Amino acid sequence: MTNSMQALSEHAVTSFDIAIIGAGPAGMMAAITASATGAKIVVLNDKPSVGGQIYRNVDRSPLVDSSVLGKDYLAGADLVAQFNQCIDAENNNVQIFNNANVWHIGDDGELLFSYNGQSNSVQAKQVIVATGAMERPFPIPGWHLPGVMSAGSAQVMLKSDALVTDDAVFVGSGPLLYLIVAQYLRLGVTVKALIDTTPKTNYVNAMSKALNALAQPSMLIKGVGLLNEIRRSGTPVYRFVSELKITESAQKADSIQFICKGEQVTLNSDQFFLHQGVIPNLNATRALGIQHHWNQQQLCWQPTLDQWGCSDVEHISVAGDSSGIVGADGARLMGHVAALNCLSKLALVSQTERNNQAVDSLRQLALLNRFRTFIDRLYQPQAAHRIPRDEATVVCRCEEQNVQQLKYEFDRGAKGPNELKSMSRCGMGPCQGRMCGTTVSELLADWREEPVGDVGYYRLRSPMRLLSLVELSKFNTLSAPPPEVVQIHTGSQQ
Amino acid sequence: MFRSLRNTDCEQVAVNINGNLFQVPAGSSVWAALALAKDTITRMAPVSEQPRSAYCAMGVCFECLVEIDGQPNRQACLTQVSAGMHIVKQNIVQSSQAEVAMYQPLCEGNSKGKTHD
Repeated sequence: MTNSMQALSEHAVTSFDIAIIGAGPAGMMAAITASATGAKIVVLNDKPSVGGQIYRNVDRSPLVDSSVLGKDYLAGADLVAQFNQCIDAENNNVQIFNNANVWHIGDDGELLFSYNGQSNSVQAKQVIVATGAMERPFPIPGWHLPGVMSAGSAQVMLKSDALVTDDAVFVGSGPLLYLIVAQYLRLGVTVKALIDTTPKTNYVNAMSKALNALAQPSMLIKGVGLLNEIRRSGTPVYRFVSELKITESAQKADSIQFICKGEQVTLNSDQFFLHQGVIPNLNATRALGIQHHWNQQQLCWQPTLDQWGCSDVEHISVAGDSSGIVGADGARLMGHVAALNCLSKLALVSQTERNNQAVDSLRQLALLNRFRTFIDRLYQPQAAHRIPRDEATVVCRCEEQNVQQLKYEFDRGAKGPNELKSMSRCGMGPCQGRMCGTTVSELLADWREEPVGDVGYYRLRSPMRLLSLVELSKFNTLSAPPPEVVQIHTGSQQ
Repeated sequence: MFRSLRNTDCEQVAVNINGNLFQVPAGSSVWAALALAKDTITRMAPVSEQPRSAYCAMGVCFECLVEIDGQPNRQACLTQVSAGMHIVKQNIVQSSQAEVAMYQPLCEGNSKGKTHD
C-alpha cells in the first residue's frame, strides 16, 4: 500500500521495465512472475482493490461468511496474498496504482492514466494488457430498461457491497449465470425463476467435444453440481425458451415474456439479470491498433497473438480473458507465460530459462483450452440473442439506435461498422461501442451475408475512458520532449 | 429492491442523493448507495429522455453516469462514496441548454475570461 501512496507528482514521467494494465489473475500473476527478477514494474488497476472481477474483494469480503461464494472464489485469496507480498517487498520494484484508469497506450510505450482526478504519464519497455472480460451484450427487446442488469452485475454487487435483491428473474446461459443463482440460494435470497436459453442443439454439438471435457472431470462435475443445486431448491427453471421480450410499465421493466414448450409464459418482476457468456474487453487493444481476428468458436473478437501472448507490436502483450476467453485459471497461466516472455525480451532471463519455466504453464493451458472447446459449444449463445431481429430492439444503448434505424442506414450505404457509426451515431456514445460493437459486427455480417471477420469492428481511439476537459487541460506532457532534452532545458520547464 | 447483507455495525458515511440524506457503509460504490436508497435511476437517456439505470455495475456500460459533487458523467459503479458527497441524477439530454451564466464572455478582458484554474 505504501507504494500507491507515493503518488506520481503532476505531469511526472516515470520509466518502468513492464507496465501491467489490470490486476485480475493474469495481471497479478504477471507481476508476481516478473518481480522475482527485480524488474521495475507498474500495475495500473482501475478497481479500488486487486483481484479483478473474479476475485473481487476476496481478502475483504463484506459478507459475514464468504464461503457461500464457492471454493473457486476463495482460492483467489492465495494469489492476492502472493501479489501483496510483491508490493510490500523490500526492494520496492513493483508499484501499484488502484483506481487508475488508463486512457491511452502509445505505440512508443507511453501510458497515460487518470489517477485522483489528474492525468499521469508512465513509460514502459514492455506492456502487458490484462483488462479481462466483459459480459456479452444481450440485445433483446427491453434490455435497456431500468430493472434489467447483467448477471455479472449481481455478482459484482454481492462481492463488493453484499447487495442482493429478492425475487429476481435470471435469464440466459452459462456457468456464471448458474453460479450467481446458486450463490443467491445459499444466502437465502429468493429467486423467482431461472430461464435457461441454452438451445437443445448445443447439447448435441457439445457431445462431439465430450472427450475434451473428460480431460477436466472436476470442472465438468462443478457445472452439473450447480444446476442440481438450483433444481433441488425448487426454483422454477424454464428450459429451451424462445422469443424473449422484456416489457415495461411506468418506464421500468415489469415482466418477461417468452415461449416455453409451445406456450406463452409471462413472469412479473422488478429485477431481471441477463447473461450469455463473456467476451474479451478489447477497448485497450483496439485503441492500440494491434491486429485482431474473429473467433468463430467463441463468437467474439480477439487480439492476434503468439503462444506467449505477444501481439504484432513487439512490446505489447495481452494476457488473460482480454486475449480470448480462458477463464481464471487460464488467465493466471497466461500471465505467467506473458511475463516470462517480456523478461526474456528485456534480457532479464535467457530464452532457455523462459522456455523451461513456461513449459508447465503452457501444458496446462493446452489442457484447459481443450476443455474450453466443450464449454464454448455447450453454452454458445443463440443467434436470436446476438443478432436481434425485432426492429425496436435497442442495439446502441448510449445513442439509442435500434435495429430498424441501423438497417435504414445500412440500406443507405453504411456497409461497415465505421460508416454505420458516422451515419447513425451508433457506437459514438460514452461506452465507446463496448455495448454494441460485437452486435454491430454480427448484424452487418448477417445483412451482408459475409463472414464477421470481413466486416470488422469500429476503429477506436484514445482516450479510452471519459476524461474531463479540466483534467485534460492540466495535462501538458503529451508533446513533451524526450528526457535527455528535458535535462538540457531544465530551467525552462514549468 | 436491493438490500444489504453486510454487518450493520460497519462504519457508515452520510451522502446526499437527489436532495435526501442517507447513511451508507463506508467504501460502498456510489451505485450501491443509490441501490440501497432505492433511488436507482441514474440518468436520462439523451435522445428519448427516458429514465435509465445501471446495467453492468463494473465500468463497461456507462449507463450509471451521475453527477457527483457538481461534476457530470461520473460512473457510479466505479466511484466510492465519501462523507458529504452529493449525488444527483444526470439530466443532461439532447435538448438541454447550457447555463449561460457558467460562461464568461471572452471579450471582456483577460482577467474576467480566465475563470478556470
